Amino acid sequence: MTSSPSNLMIEARGVEKWYPNGYHALRGVDLTVHRGEVVVVMGPSGSGKSTFIRTFNALEDFQKGTIRIDGNSLGNDLRQIDAIRREVGMVFQQFNLFPHLTVLDNLVLAPTLVRGRPRAQVQAQALSLLDRVGIKEQAQKFPGQLSGGQQQRVAIARALCMEPRILLFDEPTSSLDPEMVREVLDVMRQLAHEDITMVVVTHEVKFAEQVADRVVLMAEGSVVEEAPPAQFFKNPKHERTRRFLDQIL
Amino acid sequence: MNLLLRRLRADLFATPADGALSLGLIALISAAAVGLVQWACQKAQWAVIQANSTLFAVGRYPEAQQWRLWLLTALLTAATGVSWGLLRSHPRADREGQLWPRNDRLVLGLLAAVALWVPWALRLAPALQSRWWLLAALLGASRWLAGRFGSHLSRPLLRLFPLVWPLLYLIGMVLISGGLGLMPVPPSQWGGLLLTLLTASFAILLCFPLGVLLALGRRSDLPLLRWSAVVYIEFIRGAPLITLLFLGQNILGFLLPGGLAPDRIWRAAWVLTFFAAAYLAEAVRSGLAAVPKGQAEAARSLGLSYPQTLVRVVLPQALRVALPAMVGQFISLFQDTTLLSLIGLLELLGVARTVMANPEFLGNNREVYLTLALLFWSCCAALGLGSRALEKRLDPQTLSQSASRP
Repeated sequence: MTSSPSNLMIEARGVEKWYPNGYHALRGVDLTVHRGEVVVVMGPSGSGKSTFIRTFNALEDFQKGTIRIDGNSLGNDLRQIDAIRREVGMVFQQFNLFPHLTVLDNLVLAPTLVRGRPRAQVQAQALSLLDRVGIKEQAQKFPGQLSGGQQQRVAIARALCMEPRILLFDEPTSSLDPEMVREVLDVMRQLAHEDITMVVVTHEVKFAEQVADRVVLMAEGSVVEEAPPAQFFKNPKHERTRRFLDQIL
Repeated sequence: MNLLLRRLRADLFATPADGALSLGLIALISAAAVGLVQWACQKAQWAVIQANSTLFAVGRYPEAQQWRLWLLTALLTAATGVSWGLLRSHPRADREGQLWPRNDRLVLGLLAAVALWVPWALRLAPALQSRWWLLAALLGASRWLAGRFGSHLSRPLLRLFPLVWPLLYLIGMVLISGGLGLMPVPPSQWGGLLLTLLTASFAILLCFPLGVLLALGRRSDLPLLRWSAVVYIEFIRGAPLITLLFLGQNILGFLLPGGLAPDRIWRAAWVLTFFAAAYLAEAVRSGLAAVPKGQAEAARSLGLSYPQTLVRVVLPQALRVALPAMVGQFISLFQDTTLLSLIGLLELLGVARTVMANPEFLGNNREVYLTLALLFWSCCAALGLGSRALEKRLDPQTLSQSASRP
């Protein structure tokens, strides 16, 4: 991975966030992600990892620090936020498919509405994306008629249909039955080989080992350790990382 | 036959206690039914309805202009038939629809029977009777045509079709009140079922957007907007409708821009609208609360703007959840129109009261009230049937059970 400045996709510096109730959720987090990189964020629950990646598309605000997405800084300018959201896709733990739309319309909605692309063209692209994630034949069904794993694959296809440059995954397999985790990870593995930049919050160690360029450990609202997977899992520098790995391995 | 007996036994006489209860109920129901039929066929004097059927239908609407109402009825009938047929020829993407499901045939047959029997029972002139048959035929024909050829309609045309209804409402207003070359008929001459349907549909159509806006206002982040909505909703819900109706007659002239409430009928219709909107807002609010936060987040993360998120993602789900409660509101709103008779308007109940006060028909109250009840019941039943069909069509959950398993 080259690291010339023009390749910086995500640049977070000293990000701090307090919730309205005063809870200090992020305590000066730094992270840089380059084009095409896959970064896995791990950490105990409550460590702020989901909150952190949700700041990248302004689903969470922050009070201090700066975040630049592909050169554009995230501030209070709403138009800037909309522009950034178009380039940053997100896959949620709870899938969050639109239950009142067919699978196909879930994919077609945003590109036609937000980018103003012709429906027929988006539909063709959507079908090929559904084919890629292996559920083309379910295109006319409603999300409630699919299994959890299928729904999450639709959610990934929906995010891809906007052709984002960055894809965020917020614990994409945590609410899946164990036998469905693999089909979703397979799709993500496929994606990792492509040009797209990925930030993945997950507890899937095997996935991180095979796919990640870097693994980040967050605890108590800040980054504790950041290392390539081989080093992160075999030979972590920090005591906190060792304790965390002991708990999940 | 054997099966029927076994089923009867399982349903009605499973245990001795069940059997006793069933027998008691059957005795009670049949006694009531026999009494009602005897009274309706032998003692009741239906002349009061036959002689006043026009009055009940349209009040004192001038006879020479009544063709406009017939035309409007025909237009509405055709639009109903076409909408109905289009719904059947365009089943949901995920299921095989039937062009003529059994319930549709049943309803159409029932309506045809009513169109044949009611005019005859009312002893209408043959010319008028035949108009009712024509209406029934029109409904069937438009239903059949839209069902048969609806699938050839292009997608944009199909999406525009629902606009026929608001358009028809405007056309209806012109046809009823005159203008654009038609002789004006002042509201004071409207009455009966016409006035009931007019005020009810006016209030239902307008309270819906108003209620949605109020519900959104109540959940808004802007304190001024939120508090205005709360004060409005709580004030309206805390006052009896009849008080508001009297109040509205006195103050609406000042509150609304001139011309919107020129006379008693429109003032009453606006009060009904404002009243129903407050209750509707609460129904919509519960629907909004039922949409998970993740839905809006997913929409925003795909780049949809706030209005797009609201209109395309949040509201469709919220309204689907709120639908039964909203239709309940519409039904009670429909029945609340009877209160207009207390401020001197001659809607159905008002007409009925003038008829019963006529010395010629003294002592015929039972016939009149029963007819009114039947009229109200059939309108509300139609609303209920429509809403249940809509619910079924919009509900993703009912289908997940019947979905084909891989």
